[in-house]
Amino acid sequence: MPVEQLSELQYKRMKTLVYRLYSFSEFYHKRMKEHNVHPDDIRSLADVTKLPFMYKSDLRDNYPDKIFTASQDELVRYHVSSGTTGKPTVVGYTQNDLELWTTSLARALTGCGLGRGDVMQVSYGYGLFTGGLGLHYGAERIGATVVPTSVGNTERQIELMQDLKVTAIACTPSYMIHIGETADRMGVSIEKDTYLKVAVLGAEPWSEQMKMHIQDRLGIRAHNIFGTSELSGPMFCDCAEQNGIHIWADMAYTEIIDPDTGEQLPPGEKGELVMTVLQKEALPMIRYRIGDITSMDDSVCACGRTHPRIDRLQGRVDDMLIIRGINVFPSQVEHALLGIPEVSGHFMIVVDKKGALDEMLVQVEMNPEAFSDKVQDIMEISKKVSHVLKNSLNISVGVELAAPGALPRFEGKAKRVIDRRLN
Amino acid sequence: MFWDKEMETLGGKALEDLQVKRLRQTIRQAEKVPFFKNLLGEKGVSADDINKITDVSKLPFTTKKDLQGGYPFGFLAVPKKEVVRIHTTSGTTGKPTVVGYTRKDLDNWSELIARNMTMVGLTDEDTFQNAVNYGLFTGGLGFHYGAEKIGMTVIPSGTGNTKRQIEMIDDFGVTAVHCTPSYAMHLAEVAEEMGSKLETFKTGLFGAEPWSDNTRKTLEQKLGVTAYDSYGMSEMYGPGAAFECQERNGLHFWHDCYLIEIIDPETEEVLAPGERGELVVTPLVKEAMPLIRYRTGDITCILEDECPCGRGPRIARITGRSDDMLVIRGINVFPSQIEHVLRTLPEVGDQFMVYVDRINHLDEMTIDVEIRKEFFSGELSDLEKIQKKIIHALRDTLNLRTKVNLVEHESLPRFEGKAKRVIDRRGDAI
Repeated sequence: MPVEQLSELQYKRMKTLVYRLYSFSEFYHKRMKEHNVHPDDIRSLADVTKLPFMYKSDLRDNYPDKIFTASQDELVRYHVSSGTTGKPTVVGYTQNDLELWTTSLARALTGCGLGRGDVMQVSYGYGLFTGGLGLHYGAERIGATVVPTSVGNTERQIELMQDLKVTAIACTPSYMIHIGETADRMGVSIEKDTYLKVAVLGAEPWSEQMKMHIQDRLGIRAHNIFGTSELSGPMFCDCAEQNGIHIWADMAYTEIIDPDTGEQLPPGEKGELVMTVLQKEALPMIRYRIGDITSMDDSVCACGRTHPRIDRLQGRVDDMLIIRGINVFPSQVEHALLGIPEVSGHFMIVVDKKGALDEMLVQVEMNPEAFSDKVQDIMEISKKVSHVLKNSLNISVGVELAAPGALPRFEGKAKRVIDRRLN
Repeated sequence: MFWDKEMETLGGKALEDLQVKRLRQTIRQAEKVPFFKNLLGEKGVSADDINKITDVSKLPFTTKKDLQGGYPFGFLAVPKKEVVRIHTTSGTTGKPTVVGYTRKDLDNWSELIARNMTMVGLTDEDTFQNAVNYGLFTGGLGFHYGAEKIGMTVIPSGTGNTKRQIEMIDDFGVTAVHCTPSYAMHLAEVAEEMGSKLETFKTGLFGAEPWSDNTRKTLEQKLGVTAYDSYGMSEMYGPGAAFECQERNGLHFWHDCYLIEIIDPETEEVLAPGERGELVVTPLVKEAMPLIRYRTGDITCILEDECPCGRGPRIARITGRSDDMLVIRGINVFPSQIEHVLRTLPEVGDQFMVYVDRINHLDEMTIDVEIRKEFFSGELSDLEKIQKKIIHALRDTLNLRTKVNLVEHESLPRFEGKAKRVIDRRGDAI
């Protein structure tokens, strides 16, 4: 669609969305009133800047479903992702929401050159995480043969990849590398012994170097897919040009802002990604602050698509960590530790790569009263801590108990996270 | 309540005519598979020989072992580009059985699940937690698609993280759950520890492993649900081929989609209703992977009396297996698979023993293996390495975590007659 028509469509849909939410959503009505904006104030796309932002904390404060604008019998799905503290972020979907999500992924996968003749192994986790079911529905929509392997049992995955003549895979970039290394150990060359040609990788930040490494070593094309569960899940991907992620402009309005001032930044400048999903029914998102840092390119792509592209994500504006595709906030760790009487609030998080996979270690000081020199006691407490953390974070983490006073104290802003993965 | 009243209550001549028509179609579809073309050719039977439903006995049986021989795509009756999904299930040896689905197959399967869930009173107003594994296992995606078809709110929780699951049940007002009966028991216990009463729960759909009426009583009491039994296997799409109605007195098979027989597993003679034997199923609407007289290995009987709900004949709940297959935490395991894996490891001797227990309501499988003399070192770390290697190899093939004990060579029992390598200590208690 030509750019002008796309903008017009965006404006029309934005206007409808704002009117609908002002009239039917208590949350948005209140929020707009507080900011002294009325739907009538939106007379062009540029006026969008008058609308207030929405934050992840809004979802938490309205747990589980107070922002939803669909009734129980219209809801057909829930997905759940980690929140910033104890309670998770809940996303509800109507049938139309699932339909839009699936359509956006069908476009994205077609953009990667995939179609009916392909066999796609979906090695994202299925279940509450949006990656598995999202890609599953998208691949099914384009008529590919779906092999729903989910994560884990890597050797079996590689055998199936060979035996079922798999041509495409969806997973995290680090799992892709892990598959490559495991294949090496098994004496299988992904390039020569399988039919794999395309990998659709996402759910965690990865660099251009990592892409080149995967492409060269495995002899495949590595695409970059983007989305968050608040937007529905993974939705957008780079095309065969592999030069930026196309954001479907008829579905989402994209802005890049200065995270400190909230000012919109021009194309090409780096800032925080902010998105409005134009037709979402159950959990509408106006100017949602995604927290990822990137820049936008609104020129027409060589592939012919007029939809703007965003650059590979460059980092976060907040302290969110992504461990094996799962979002983790240091505040969650703090919150979980507070519930355990045997340990104190002094903790450190060390993130590292073990092979291709992320490992997270939580070091925490014991309370003097609980401190004991019996190995048995220490092991019990350590087990308890890892169990509590696993329940709250949804990932397994290593736990190291430290003696009272052993961990660093911070006078200014605490720097509790050491991320060694970047080296 | 009915999802598809016409098909669910079809009986008499109308049903038989439909079955005959679909059986002929199935034979023609199966003839596209070289294995069946040869088999039917050898027997000298074709679709034209089917004039009444009892003519099915002219057809040859198919076994799991046959499917094994076709790995991976030998049983597909459609071009691969028409296959939109692949599931795998355990084979009798190292390689899994591959099951393919066309779009129509997926639709048929979801329709059957929708029938089952509607039959037990669930509607689009229900919130449904699907607490089984997603992925290659058919239980997860099967129920997911069926519930979505009805328009229920689906929470694809999968297994594990039980505390979080209970929080979701309470926070989202979950009314129905699908899981294995042993996981249900675990849920009940953790809920009790957390002080949750699971107040919104009303319906429990349990399957993928055998469970008793005693277990039903306990689960109903502890979870506050009415509990229903589900039956199916990947070869017949997945779960949902038969299901209990609200009478909960046997499982209704969907006779428009499956032709069922009970045979004597030894003589292969067809048995009359009421007689117990092995269930043999001919799916009638499968496109990608048609099957003829598939021997399920499950022991049951066709119930003779009519059900007040108005649907067709039921089978009794499954009471056992005609072969040595074990169901461990919902996953099928054949002792031959274990043997196959152990044979590939040079450190391991020829003898092994399998013990199955139920610990805290969850199945645990322990395998004792003998270490060959030349590998039996005094170093603990060497032994640990071997143990890890065996566990890893078993997990890769069985898709299941097992415990492995290494024992000295020549310390396990030797068998003169038929080896009895499996000791199942689970009994009836769950």
